[in-house]
Amino acid sequence: MSTETNQNQDDKGQWLSLSINSQIEDTVLVAMAIRGVCSMIGLTLEDINRIELCVVEVVNNAIEHAYSGCSGSRVDVEVVIEPGNRLEIIVKDKGKSMPALGDIAAVQVPDPANPDTWTTSGRGLPIVEQLMDAIHYESNESGNAFHMIRQLG
Amino acid sequence: MGFGSRQEAGKTVVEIDEPRLDASLATPFRDYIFDLIGQGQKELVVDLSKVEFMDSSGLGAMVAALKQMGGSGAIELANPQKAVHDLFDLTCMDKIFTIHSKVNDALVSLPKSH
Repeated sequence: MSTETNQNQDDKGQWLSLSINSQIEDTVLVAMAIRGVCSMIGLTLEDINRIELCVVEVVNNAIEHAYSGCSGSRVDVEVVIEPGNRLEIIVKDKGKSMPALGDIAAVQVPDPANPDTWTTSGRGLPIVEQLMDAIHYESNESGNAFHMIRQLG
Repeated sequence: MGFGSRQEAGKTVVEIDEPRLDASLATPFRDYIFDLIGQGQKELVVDLSKVEFMDSSGLGAMVAALKQMGGSGAIELANPQKAVHDLFDLTCMDKIFTIHSKVNDALVSLPKSH
């Protein structure tokens, strides 16, 4: 994992750039870095846990779907901090793109009486949509970018 | 590290000796529980006390285990840390899993019927 910081990029406040190999066991490296940043800017423990969860879900989604679970490619994560205003986390890959986010279903409530509703996958992105203030997804010839925005203060 | 189990009060207590039940451990965890169910263990209590973080893959493995029971047993959860409890709340999974604050509470409870 490589890191770099620059406090003056586009006058957007502080930013941090991370890259990992596209293997699921390395997602924890990004998770720990994000926890550190969230702690530094004074988020509550509940918020830190929730932002970590969102980042893990989106990074895992990139590894499992964009790269079909194959290691050897890069997943880039950029964190942009505007103190007192907002936190933006962008997960980038150069693999297969996914459908537009408008297709994300809400978190499905399981019916205790109907095991057909006890789905074992597909909860990751609905959780992210539920927990973040805004999300959007861009896909073009240079790759895919999943943006997550959380208001601060 | 890893998973273990012990018999207590007629139930099987599953211990997860891992800080993160995430996508990298979801399949081994699911296979471990499937093995227990295959051996005829029908009343499982999963001790989550050491799990600091769970993602949707870990949750999916837990749901797969419950489905594998086929309605003829129970999987109850005990002692989740806050982040894990939060995940169950956010996904409404507390509707299909009984969550106890202590393993001992799970051992004396009646199995949840589905």
